[in-house]
Amino acid sequence: MSRSLTQLACLAVVAVGTLSSFKALSLFSSSAPQEDDAQGAEHAAPAADERPHMRAPRGVSLTVSEGTWLRAPGEEWIEQQAEVEAGRWSYSEDALDGEPGWIDSTGFVQLRYDAEEDIYAYWQWVGPEQLTRGRRDFVQFCSSCHGLEGDGYGRSGQWLRPSPRDFRQQNFKFTKVLANLPTDAALKKLIHRGLDGTPMLPWALSDEQLTDIVQYFKSLSPAGVAWRNPFLSIGDAVVAPPDPWGGREGYAVERGKKVYHGNAQCMLCHPGYVHPSELPALIGDPEGTRYRENLYLPVLKESEYTVLGEKVKILPPDFTFHTLRAGSTTQDLFETIAAGIKGTAMPAWKGALSDEDLWALAYYVESLITAYKDDPAARQGLMESLRADQ
Amino acid sequence: MNRIANFLTGRLLSARWSSALAVLLLAGVAEAQGKRWGPMPPASDYGYRFSELFWLITTLCTISFAIVVILIAIPMLRDRDRKGHKAKYDHGSALHDKRLTAVISVITFVVLDAWVLVIAMRDLREAYWNVPEVDEPGVYQVEVLAQQWAWNFRAAGEDGEFGTADDILETNHLTVPEGRSVSFQLTSKDVIHSLFLPEMRMKRDVNPGAINEAWFKPIQSGEFTILCAELCGYAHYQMHGHVTVLPEAEFDAWEAGASQLAAAGYDPEDEEAHWAWDWEQ
Repeated sequence: MSRSLTQLACLAVVAVGTLSSFKALSLFSSSAPQEDDAQGAEHAAPAADERPHMRAPRGVSLTVSEGTWLRAPGEEWIEQQAEVEAGRWSYSEDALDGEPGWIDSTGFVQLRYDAEEDIYAYWQWVGPEQLTRGRRDFVQFCSSCHGLEGDGYGRSGQWLRPSPRDFRQQNFKFTKVLANLPTDAALKKLIHRGLDGTPMLPWALSDEQLTDIVQYFKSLSPAGVAWRNPFLSIGDAVVAPPDPWGGREGYAVERGKKVYHGNAQCMLCHPGYVHPSELPALIGDPEGTRYRENLYLPVLKESEYTVLGEKVKILPPDFTFHTLRAGSTTQDLFETIAAGIKGTAMPAWKGALSDEDLWALAYYVESLITAYKDDPAARQGLMESLRADQ
Repeated sequence: MNRIANFLTGRLLSARWSSALAVLLLAGVAEAQGKRWGPMPPASDYGYRFSELFWLITTLCTISFAIVVILIAIPMLRDRDRKGHKAKYDHGSALHDKRLTAVISVITFVVLDAWVLVIAMRDLREAYWNVPEVDEPGVYQVEVLAQQWAWNFRAAGEDGEFGTADDILETNHLTVPEGRSVSFQLTSKDVIHSLFLPEMRMKRDVNPGAINEAWFKPIQSGEFTILCAELCGYAHYQMHGHVTVLPEAEFDAWEAGASQLAAAGYDPEDEEAHWAWDWEQ
């Protein structure tokens, strides 16, 4: 008798436990609605919608069922490809409705006509198998920060500055290209290298994986934007020409110092590393010229990149303190200065300055890094001398 | 002569002997390169406790291993198969065998386990869990926000208050003063991580939804390792960084500069970027 009573009691406990855990599950599901689940959203806590980082959609799909056409780089790039793969490419005076252009015998790259915008542009076909492979790798490696849908709102990306890229905003800061958009090679190089001082790690993935991932996030571009915009140019990363200052690094640094504070006016956003009273003599301004206040500090600048609807502000680096994202060798510095940083106040200097001056700037910035970055006492000495009477 | 040759070709080149040789060679190479054989020297004030415990356990285990080997070797030699000797089989169930087993067990427990346990408990109480009070003066406080796959560090900056414009933010790199206690409060954005500073002998799990505490006091300036010691996803192996321990004067210079630049880069409107929390015990 007592044994069956005990059994009954046990059963009751188990039943109550099961029921309450179901209840807990249903509570959980209503607090984590799917994006397009309108009914779920009604029951959700109001905070969930305001914080896209905290979304926890279930049943995330890992397959992409349809292929897509994406913008391909233009004729210059194809000419380079044609040299490598002669059999694949041929030039025709009538590639499409009388328009001359290149023909890809595999059919993957095509010259296409956009009737709405009345423009011819090269597009490439990306198949569903490749997009699916890219999607799988993207979800595994990238989605914790960049979000399951590549919108930059991954759970690990919240509160993070600089914020992880939203791949729909056609804004890639460090691909070092002069064109509007980078080539696949430039993007793969960036992912492989990572960005110093940020959670964007150097990803040691195979070339095939990188190619698939790049195709996948390019396919996230909305209609008419980025890789679906027929007007944008796609180009390769800037390549530094031979260093003209070999053996004369000291002169290069002096020249760079003049360019930095003089005609390039880097000190409008970055710190000036010369006391304002000595600047006129260095760069040939009239005696007594006034410069901006707190010249020894960088100035916070607005960027075009938006997070939660607000434009993100970026502090230009102080070279004596900050870790530079895209490398700090002379060559890295040349490339970054030459190509600029897309979507920020840092313009592309290639063309505006001679290659010689760009190299000199790179040498000067590198000299600042080596002299002060890992030596807080030396840096403090420099800063005190700059701040005096400012 | 033949036996020596057999020994050389058979024994010496067998897998076991060659691996033992390889270990000896590696030890020699490590020695020649000036690398230490064994754990790296501790760089925090409580680090020596961990080293002492490590060597105590190693010594005790070595001694007990030697005793066990000797105890096996004696009957193997004494009772080996030979002319005029007959083996006697025994289940060891006699009273004196049981008594012997009990005595050996008690001695082993007292000498090995209890000794190590007492020291470990004492070290935990006196050092590891002895986290500085929130308002203790001179303590350098750091908020740690772990994520897949990076360490975000926030220090209060010159004003000593978290959540203000001059908070110093670092990623995968932490700068701390030598000779001052460094106190951590740690939490995670996503999954469980574990902040591991091997030279400081400090390791603490970092859990989402909870704030854990840990501390250490660096006694040596230099560059040390930060690792994640909890498998946290694909790039767990890349979740590492450096602690730079600076002498007090150099640290003050660094902190002043870092604070000033942090204030210059502070955007009051970008509220999503302000993740500091208040320190409570």
